[in-house]
Amino acid sequence: MEVLLGITGRDFTLIAASKAAMRGATILKASDDKTRQLNKHTLMAFMGEAGDTVQFAEYIQANAQLYSMRNETDLSPSALAHFVRGELASSLRSRKPYNVNLLLGGVDPITHKPSLYWLDYLAALAPLPYAAHGYAQYYCLSILDKHHHPDISLEQGIKLLTLCIDELKRRLPVDFKGMVVKAVTKDGIVDIEFDDDKVVKSA
Amino acid sequence: MSSPFSINGGACVAMVGKDCVAIACDLRLGLQALTVSNNFPKIFQYGDNVFLGLTGLATDLSTVSDLFRYKVNMYRLREERNIAPKTFANLPFICGFDSIGCIDFAADFIVSGTATDQLYGMCESLWEPNLAPEDLFETISQALMSAVDRDALSGWGAYVYIIEKDKVTKRLLKGRQD
Amino acid sequence: MAMFSQNPLMNGPNYSFSDAPKTSAPEGSREHRFDPYTDNGGSTLAIAGADFAIMAGDTRLTSGYSINSRHHPKVFKIGGTTADQHDATIVLSVVGFAADGEALKERLDSICKMYRYRHGKPMSVKACAQRLSTILYQKRFFPYYAYAILGGLDEAGKGAVYSYDPVGSYEREQCRAGGAAASLIMPFLDNQVNFKNQYVPGSGEGHALQERERRPLSRNEVEILVKDAFDGAVERHIEVGDGLQMMVITSNGVEEILLPLKKD
Repeated sequence: MEVLLGITGRDFTLIAASKAAMRGATILKASDDKTRQLNKHTLMAFMGEAGDTVQFAEYIQANAQLYSMRNETDLSPSALAHFVRGELASSLRSRKPYNVNLLLGGVDPITHKPSLYWLDYLAALAPLPYAAHGYAQYYCLSILDKHHHPDISLEQGIKLLTLCIDELKRRLPVDFKGMVVKAVTKDGIVDIEFDDDKVVKSA
Repeated sequence: MSSPFSINGGACVAMVGKDCVAIACDLRLGLQALTVSNNFPKIFQYGDNVFLGLTGLATDLSTVSDLFRYKVNMYRLREERNIAPKTFANLPFICGFDSIGCIDFAADFIVSGTATDQLYGMCESLWEPNLAPEDLFETISQALMSAVDRDALSGWGAYVYIIEKDKVTKRLLKGRQD
Repeated sequence: MAMFSQNPLMNGPNYSFSDAPKTSAPEGSREHRFDPYTDNGGSTLAIAGADFAIMAGDTRLTSGYSINSRHHPKVFKIGGTTADQHDATIVLSVVGFAADGEALKERLDSICKMYRYRHGKPMSVKACAQRLSTILYQKRFFPYYAYAILGGLDEAGKGAVYSYDPVGSYEREQCRAGGAAASLIMPFLDNQVNFKNQYVPGSGEGHALQERERRPLSRNEVEILVKDAFDGAVERHIEVGDGLQMMVITSNGVEEILLPLKKD
């Protein structure tokens, strides 16, 4: 039961991922970071089959960094999203496809426009104002449908994210050990302090 | 339910009018019963008056539409002209393809997607020959909207393109969000 | 249901009927199992008006690719005093497995007749509708494979249409299409009978548009609509065609109309 959430706002993209690394019924680690930074203003979060996830994410990360070094310029979030989709799409029709779902968030270095891309393991790509993967979709999309607005500030975005995570704590049967929360802005990627100890009582 | 053709849902329809054609698609992207996006267009433009509507597995819509864009761009660079064969320029024309490439030339309308049955029923009863652009717009819009309202996997708004000899009009139709 | 579709997995005519090629049986072995159901294709349609109701069905009876009959009725008068049903006020349409439809019709008819003899008055559509639901649900675990629609005039003289699933779930509606081409006809009915997706021009933009006001259709309009719906269905569905049987229920009784449909 991994959780991936993404929210865009006026000048930022928020990416949040659950901290629990699970294997069957066991939690192996409670401080897992399911995100990788692709360049100064693009962040990717991933979930799926153990092994595939980190392998694929770091392959993408390495290629994004290689591009930046060779060309002395970064790929835009949109370009990266399409690159990732291409890799995932060719993997899908290979002998052993990667089983990875991704969220890719970024802020365009030139236009400063925030963006969020939703990719599933079938390599379906959708640009969205807010997105989720896994069970979080069923709990959070309706909350975001109701409360999201493209013009929200970062503080409002974090508030909205808290609303979603509270609901997950309330409804998910498994403790996902809190969230890693990062914000992408025009100035780069910043870690957001998030109160994982907040107790939400079930209904 | 897990057929690749009905995982993501979606509907497309094209119609012939008098000196014009229309093509329209819905905007839903879903994962089975869950709607992920209500802004996922399925019509792609490849020239001044060449449009392609695709339905099926979302990943393959992207792959196919991107591949065509690449091929059309390469054609334009190689030939130093737009991919606009004179048949396209002068003759309003639609055709359909199944997923293994069989062409369906039609003089009236083409439908595709998870709402095919509904679209066939609507088009067969609403369409008539020689519709003027505005009438063709109304016809294709009514056909698509009523069809997707009876298909759980399609809908959430629509885009309609009316293609005339010298202009293309694109309209967004707001639809039920359920 | 899916007929010829662009979807390769559902491509070709779909075998909703029993003589579909068996693919699951292992090589060399033969499975002998009696399948009690067949899908005999065809389509039905019912629309309620202000003071009338029209029940319609095509008259083709199919089994797989074969046309077994071009003159097989799906619409029946129910609950008259005699077998010729000259004074019947209720009409039943059935589509799906023809034998079950026939059995269901016979059963409902005899129940309506018994009611008439016992109470000295014909059954109301409302009562008949509830009774039909009970009949269907009584066979919950070996159902009549039939999609029924019941039509008549209610206590106030208004047109009434009740539609059913094979196990007796039912609902009173303004209009309903059933059978093989239901998915083709139903959105057309939404659009033309209930004016769905029709808005008053210039009354707003997007979701603020004002819906076109619903108005009861005249008998003539409905007859044309029914014919148009079936002409469309015939064109795109191989199991629908040959003849169109229409029953028009008014306060003067039930009038039957037979029209030709394409026979290809």
